[in-house]
Amino acid sequence: MTTAAQPVDTTGRRYPQWVVLSVVSAIVVILFATTLTFQPLLSGHPPDLATATQQTANALSLGAIYALIALGYTMVYGIIELINFAHGDVFMVGAFIAMTFLRTGFQATTLLGMGIGLAALGGFALFLGWGLVSGLGIRRAAPRLLALALVVGATVGLEFGVKQTGPITDGLTLTAVLIPTFLIAMIIIAATNVTIERLAYRPLRKKSRLAPLLTAVGISFILQNIVIVWQGTGDRPVPQLVPLVKFELLGAHINWLNMFILVLALALMVGLQTFVNRTRLGRAMRSTAQDQQAAQLMGVDLNQTISVTFLIGGALAGAAGVFQGLYFGFVRFDLGFNAGLKAFTSAVLGGIGNLTGAVIGGFLIGFVEVFAAAVGQQRWSQAIVFMVLIVVLIIRPAGILGQQVGERA
Amino acid sequence: MNLRKLGALAFGAMFVAAACNTGGGTATGTPGGTSAATATAAATKGTVKVAVEMPFQGSEKAASDPVLKGVRLALKQAGGAAGGYTVQVADADVYDDSINGAHDPQTGAKNTKAIVTDPDYIAQIGPLNSSVAKVQIPISNAAGLLQCSPANTNEGLTKPEFGALDIRNVHPDVINYVRMVTTDNNQGPAMAKYGIKNLGLKSIYVIDDTETFGKGIADNFAKEWIAEGGTVVKHDGAPKTTTDYSSLMTAAAALHPDSIYFGGVTSTGGARILNASVQAGLGDVKFLGSDGIQDGGAATPDSFLNLAADNAKNSFTTTAAIGDYPGKVAFDAAYKAEYGVDPGSYSGTGFACMQVILKALGTAAGTNPADMAGLREAVRKAAVDPTVTYDTVLGQMHFDKNGDTSQLIVSIFAFDAATKTWVFKEQLDFAK
Repeated sequence: MTTAAQPVDTTGRRYPQWVVLSVVSAIVVILFATTLTFQPLLSGHPPDLATATQQTANALSLGAIYALIALGYTMVYGIIELINFAHGDVFMVGAFIAMTFLRTGFQATTLLGMGIGLAALGGFALFLGWGLVSGLGIRRAAPRLLALALVVGATVGLEFGVKQTGPITDGLTLTAVLIPTFLIAMIIIAATNVTIERLAYRPLRKKSRLAPLLTAVGISFILQNIVIVWQGTGDRPVPQLVPLVKFELLGAHINWLNMFILVLALALMVGLQTFVNRTRLGRAMRSTAQDQQAAQLMGVDLNQTISVTFLIGGALAGAAGVFQGLYFGFVRFDLGFNAGLKAFTSAVLGGIGNLTGAVIGGFLIGFVEVFAAAVGQQRWSQAIVFMVLIVVLIIRPAGILGQQVGERA
Repeated sequence: MNLRKLGALAFGAMFVAAACNTGGGTATGTPGGTSAATATAAATKGTVKVAVEMPFQGSEKAASDPVLKGVRLALKQAGGAAGGYTVQVADADVYDDSINGAHDPQTGAKNTKAIVTDPDYIAQIGPLNSSVAKVQIPISNAAGLLQCSPANTNEGLTKPEFGALDIRNVHPDVINYVRMVTTDNNQGPAMAKYGIKNLGLKSIYVIDDTETFGKGIADNFAKEWIAEGGTVVKHDGAPKTTTDYSSLMTAAAALHPDSIYFGGVTSTGGARILNASVQAGLGDVKFLGSDGIQDGGAATPDSFLNLAADNAKNSFTTTAAIGDYPGKVAFDAAYKAEYGVDPGSYSGTGFACMQVILKALGTAAGTNPADMAGLREAVRKAAVDPTVTYDTVLGQMHFDKNGDTSQLIVSIFAFDAATKTWVFKEQLDFAK
C-alpha cells in the first residue's frame, strides 16, 4: 500500500506523483465541464455553463462516496492481497445503521420487546467488542475497556435513535444530530469489519489464496441476507436532515449538501493520509504492504496491523454509508453490490494498493457515471464505466498510479 | 480454539438460516384470507385449484396483497364452489415471482411451469407485471391453461398488431390469456389528455424504467402528449438498478419542464425518481405516473406514497380500470368488513377475475368433461368466449377476440394531502 510511491511507466521515466495527479484531474474536469457546457449546442440550445457546474457538483459528491469505499478495498488489497468482496456490503450495513439511528432506533413499545431488543443488541455489542479486542490484540485492561465502551455506547445509541423525520434548519441541532450518526456508524462498521477479519479471514490467511476470496463472497451474501431478514427487500427511506439550501456558483444553484459531503469526505481522506504517513501504526501498515516478512522481522505485529487496516477501512465505509443515506435519501439491501463494484473498479483504475489512486479512481468513476447519464445514456452508464476501466488498464495495466511490480515468487 | 470453532459454527448457522429466508417459492398468503374449503353442495365433483401468481416482496407487496384479498373475497362470496366443484385458493396456491424485492420474469416462468404441470389447476390469476406475463403466456398458451390478469396493461400481450402473435406462438389462434384492465395504448394517452386539458401543462420530461411495461406506457404517453400539442423536452430510460438519479434530474431541470412523467412501478424507481427531482429543484412540477405507482396510501408500507412522503404533493396516477362504478360502494364496504382495510387499486379487478373464472367453471362443468385436462380446456373455452357477457363487480363486460376487456376505461387519481392517499378524479372512456 503506497502513498509516496513514484509511478513508473514502461519507458523507465519517473513522474512525480503530484504531476500525474494534477494532469489527470485537470484533464477530467476540463473535458467534463467543456463537453457538458457545449453539448446543448447539438440540439440548438445555447451553451450551458450552469448545468455543467451542477453536474460537476453531482459528480464530486458521487465520486467522494465511491472514493471512501474504494479506499477500503485498496488498503486491504495492498496489505494482504485480498479482494474484500464483502466491503461493499459492509458499506450497505453502515447505511442501514445510519438510517435506523436517524429514524427510530430499535425502540420497541412493550417492556418485553424492549428487553429482547436490549438483550439482542447487548449480545451484538459484546460480540463486536470481543472481535475488536481480539482482532486488534489489545492486552491491557484500560484500552480493552475503552474499546468495549465505544462499541456498547454505539449500540445503545443505535437502540434509541433520534427519531428524525425531516430537514433540520438549525445548524447547531444539525451538527448535534450528525456527529453521533457518523460516530455510531463508523464505530459499529469498523468493529464489524475487524470482527469479520478476525473470524473469517485470519484463519485462512496462510492457506490458499482462493479461500479468503470465497469467504469474502460468502460474507457478502450473509450480510445481505441479514439485512433482508432485518429490514425486508424494499427501499427504506432515510430522513433528509440537511435542508436543501442552495448557493450560487457560475449560474448554477448547488445544494450545500453536495459541498458538505465533498468537504467531509476530503477531510477523512486527508486524515487517513496523515495517519498512514505520520504515525507508527501507519508506518507499520506501509511496511507490511511492502514486505510482510521483513516487517515482522522489524517487530511489526502482523495481526494487529492487518486489523487496524480493516478498522480504518470499516470506519470509512461507515462514513460513506451515512453519506449515502443523507444524499440519496434511501437505502436498499443490494446497494452494497452496485456501489462495491464501482468502488472496486475505482480502486483498480487508480492502481490497486495505492491510496491516492483509489481517491482519484473514485472521483473519476463518479465523473464518468454522471457524464454518461448527463448525455442521456443512463442505461449504458455501467457499461461505459467498465469500458473506461478496460481502456485505462490496456494503456497502463497497473492503473493510473499503480506500480509496475514484478510477480512475487 | 473452541471459541474460534464456535464462531465459525455461528457464522455457518446464520448463513443457512438467512439463505432459507430468501428466494422465491410460495409466498405466505395474507392473514384474513381464507382458503375456501366449505362447499355449499353436499356432494362435490372434487376440488379444483386456482393459482395466484404475483410478486410479494418489498414494494411489490403493497400492490399485490390487495389483489389477492380481492380474489379471496370473490371466492368467499361465491361460497367457495362453482359448477359443483370446490374451488380452492390456499396459501400453497399463491406463487411469488419476486426475487430480491422486485418481480422477476424468470421466476414467474418457473412458477407458471409448475402451475401448468399440476392438473388440478384450472386457471392462473396473475401476474401483476407485463414483463412477467410476456414470458408466462407462451407457457400457458402451450398448455391451454386459462390465465386472467388483473393488472397487465401492455398492449403487446394480446393485440396482434402489437406483436401478441409472437407471444402466444404455440397456438396463435387459441386465446388463453384474458385481462380485466384495458391496455397502455389507452392508459398512457389518458394521462396525456388529462395533463394537457385538465392541468394545462405544456412541456414534460419523460423517464421510464426500460422494462416492458414502463417503456411501453411512456412511449404511448409521449406520442399522445405530442399529438395533443405538448412538448417532450427529454425522454430517458433508467434501469431499476440506478441509485443516482441526480445527474439525470439536473440535465432535465436545465430544460425547464413543467411536469415529469414516470413509466414504471414503485420497485423500479418511482419514489427515488420523485425524491431526486425534488433535490434537483423540480419540486413544484407536476409528477404524472401510471398504475405502477398507485399501490396504496402513505400508511401502506413500501408503497410509492409511503416512500415519497410529502414530495408526492403534485402527483397524479392512472388506473387502467373503471374507477367509479355502481357497485363500488358495496364492494368497498364488503372488502373493509372482511379485511379491515380499504381496497387497493386492483382489488376490484382481482375480484372480477375470480368471478369470471367461477362462471366459466360453471359453464364448463355443464359440458361434463371426462378428466381434469378436459375440464381445464372447457374452462378456458368458456371464459374466452366473446359472446358471453359477464356481470362482474365492475359492471357488465365481455372479452373481445383477443382476450381484452370491453371496458376501455382509464381512471385518473390525484394525491390528496389530507388523507395522504390517491383520490379518484375522473375517468375517460376510450370506447366512445
